[in-house]
Amino acid sequence: MADNSIRLINVTKRFGKSVAVDHLNLEIPANSFISLLGPSGCGKTTTLRMIAGLETPTEGEIWIGDKLVFSAEKGIDVPPNNRGIGFLFQNYALWPHMTVYKNIAFGLENMKWKKADIDKKVNELCELLQLSTYLDRYPSELSGGQQQRVAIARTLATSPQILLMDEPLSNLDAKLRLEMRTELKRLHGTTNATFVYVTHDQMEAMALSTNVCLMNMAVMQQYAPPLKLYAEPVNMFVADFVGNPSMNFVEFDLKDQVVSRNGVRLGVTPVNGGKLLKKEGKVVLGVRPENVKVSAEGEISAKVISSFPYGMETTLVIECMGSDMRTVVFGSVDYRTGEEIRISLCHEKACLFDGETKELLSVVETKIL
Amino acid sequence: MKVKVRKFINYIRKPQHVILLVLLVCLAYLVVFPLFYIVKDTLIVHTSEVNRVHANAGTLTNYHWAKTFLASDTFATFWQPLLHSLICAVLSCVIAILVGGLFAWLIIRTDMHCKKLCSTLFMFLYIMPGWTLAIAWTNFFKNSLVGGTTGIFEAITRVSTPNWFAYGLFPIVLVTGLHYAPYAYILIGGILKNMDSNLEEAAQILNVSRAGIFVKITIPLVKPAILSTILLVFASGLSVFSTAQFLGLPVNFYTLATKMYSYLNGTNPGRGYVYAVVMMVLSLTILVLNQRMLGTRKSYTTVSGKSSNISLTKLRKGRKIISILVTAFVICVTILPFISFATESLTQVKGDYSLANFTLKYWIAEDAGIGFSGILRNPVFWKALKNTLLLAVCCSLGAGTVGALAGYGIARKWGSKLSTVVNGLTFLPYLIPSIALSAIYLSMFSTRHGIIPALYGTYGMLVLIGVVKYLPMASRSGLNSMFQISATLEESATVMGIPWWKRMCKILIPIQKTSIMSGYLLPFTSCTREMELFVLLYTPNSVLLTTLLFMYNQKGYEQFANAITLLIVILVISLNALINKITGASIDSGIGG
Repeated sequence: MADNSIRLINVTKRFGKSVAVDHLNLEIPANSFISLLGPSGCGKTTTLRMIAGLETPTEGEIWIGDKLVFSAEKGIDVPPNNRGIGFLFQNYALWPHMTVYKNIAFGLENMKWKKADIDKKVNELCELLQLSTYLDRYPSELSGGQQQRVAIARTLATSPQILLMDEPLSNLDAKLRLEMRTELKRLHGTTNATFVYVTHDQMEAMALSTNVCLMNMAVMQQYAPPLKLYAEPVNMFVADFVGNPSMNFVEFDLKDQVVSRNGVRLGVTPVNGGKLLKKEGKVVLGVRPENVKVSAEGEISAKVISSFPYGMETTLVIECMGSDMRTVVFGSVDYRTGEEIRISLCHEKACLFDGETKELLSVVETKIL
Repeated sequence: MKVKVRKFINYIRKPQHVILLVLLVCLAYLVVFPLFYIVKDTLIVHTSEVNRVHANAGTLTNYHWAKTFLASDTFATFWQPLLHSLICAVLSCVIAILVGGLFAWLIIRTDMHCKKLCSTLFMFLYIMPGWTLAIAWTNFFKNSLVGGTTGIFEAITRVSTPNWFAYGLFPIVLVTGLHYAPYAYILIGGILKNMDSNLEEAAQILNVSRAGIFVKITIPLVKPAILSTILLVFASGLSVFSTAQFLGLPVNFYTLATKMYSYLNGTNPGRGYVYAVVMMVLSLTILVLNQRMLGTRKSYTTVSGKSSNISLTKLRKGRKIISILVTAFVICVTILPFISFATESLTQVKGDYSLANFTLKYWIAEDAGIGFSGILRNPVFWKALKNTLLLAVCCSLGAGTVGALAGYGIARKWGSKLSTVVNGLTFLPYLIPSIALSAIYLSMFSTRHGIIPALYGTYGMLVLIGVVKYLPMASRSGLNSMFQISATLEESATVMGIPWWKRMCKILIPIQKTSIMSGYLLPFTSCTREMELFVLLYTPNSVLLTTLLFMYNQKGYEQFANAITLLIVILVISLNALINKITGASIDSGIGG
């Protein structure tokens, strides 16, 4: 089987003066499922389109397997159809004047397949994606989820070794989105193709991919497996973007592995036996909501501002140490607004960020002093 | 080196690049180069001017400019026509907006009767060429003071119309204003129709008076539409030619365009080119000014939802009388002209409308008395009809195809420099007055330039100028149709390796067939009724219906002229009806009652 890894070397894309993607280096291993994650306008879709060949990078090289498909320096630009890719568009891009069958078969007809082979392939795909009863319908006669499945079938018809997906689930309602997630994971297992998936939904990226590439303002922030991204964000942007409810950031003054604020003093010990490079100054302590434990024996007092009971857990917004924080309490519990509670930050994992650069100093364990 | 070649190949492999580059070269030659060429023409001695300038043909001279601006009669020959043009432009605007706006309000916002009929008939004014109304006006109101015979009005009432009423500024302004009133109706009506009346009702609840609502809410909301009408009508009023020629010449009322025509057709073409340059500069200035205003002015979201609810103003007691007046007015300006063309073409002696004087000889006789056989037996007429239809087909095929391709190229590279430049170039011919454009082409293609042969007098020349002139129209609809379909529809095929021609034929064109078709059909109808563009360029060999009519009119063969006018109008209106049937959309669709 062909090598379906992808390598981007120093890829930059400029639109006039604005930079859409800035010196991106990215290695996507064969058969992996990679998410390009980031807020809108961060360059993730542009990156995907450059891999596909639909957009021409301003600088850099792109390799697919051992084949150089783009090089600004050498003037190489392999057209999309010779890159062995499939592309799934956000708006599905189904041809409105063709039936489901025709939509799926069109690419195969173009490849001069025999009628019987096309029939076989289309039926096979339709069975896989549960579309068999809709073959004669036009796209406008299908629901959003069905259209999405037709788009997937059409993309899979030519058996691409690399599947590029541009926010394919963003137009679906919440329930269908969950179903299609499962479907995509199953497809990844059966097709053995490399999946590159663009999304702005961090939950989706976390749930689906083997590796997440988080981008912001044209620059790659972190490229890591989902759980590493969650536990060891390299800077405050990543920490804030990943996780829902998002991480609490509280400013502290650091001095010799002790941070203090409003009379609360916490000892911060780097995990894995590392050392804090910064000795003193302003720092930001980032604590995940689930690590802010509500308990009667808690060391720090807090006041409930609002409470959102979801059934399985309850999210609280509390005022604590003169700052708003979020916390999660598991189980069916509710709190009154204004209720005094106590929280504990003892022996919890937290991230310590530099107050100026916003970069991660270290993952630390906290201890009330 | 190798890298550069490879890069070039990569670039050229994308069809949108090829399209844009080819267009850039062609349009530079056909639209930009002429602008410079005509300036050169104002500075040299032409063959027919050798005796006047006392210099050899082709030598440089400032004679034309000096004569235009420095001679003793410069007021009568330049400033006055310029003033006339400006007054025409301003007053036509006022009339178009008042009539069109009032009509739009009546049709859309009141409970008037006969809306459907009025709306349909009103559009005739726009579909019919502007000069048909001018001819109808002469038919009705010409007086014995000029030209000898009198019109229908005098024949019936025995009252002789004064000169200012029959000819000159007043009728020109009225006719031009009325011709563009439907345009104001469409634009203003479109907004009135889509504007949520909640906006007005909100004011009503605050106890604002009816007049107050109209002045403070309705008018500001339709302002963008009014501005855009002003632009079109002003530019057209400024360069109005045929209407001014028909209604102005008898009393020596000249506008810039008619003055230019007389110089170009006379012994001082160089001076005619000076006038053409002046007209172009004026049009471009207005459009640049307007562009500025368009760029900075506030844009309103007047459409708040799909089902905007419109509450009709009750005309109460006035309902009946207003309905009758409006219907009568519309019939007067649309149906009566038809009747007048028919009557005029049937009268043996001009100005005599007794039954005994009616004859069919100008239609069917072997010899109609002035050395011509009746229109329907006249080989020249049939040739002109054939030429007109063939020209319309050629222009529409040319403009439609180029327009669709241009739209594709521009949309795909939207935002890039090349695309912006080509987009501007395809629109440029719209800004050049027809008569000025034809003056330029007359000068540019009368001699051979390198590989491009002298085209003057050939049919190809008419096709070429038609394609260029209608390109803005066609490329607009091409661009719109391409913008309406998401680029991903094509990209998904590109990824599958489907070649470009197949993507066009199997995906893009089938999806947008209606709007691409209208890119072909609009130039077709426009071409059949076009006079100003061809009147300087036709030769006996390439005679068209409109130029034939122009010639008959100038020579005073009014029966023939009226017969041809009638035929042209019928042709244009039936073509328009046919197009509406095919594309399933009429110009006033979505507005009319």
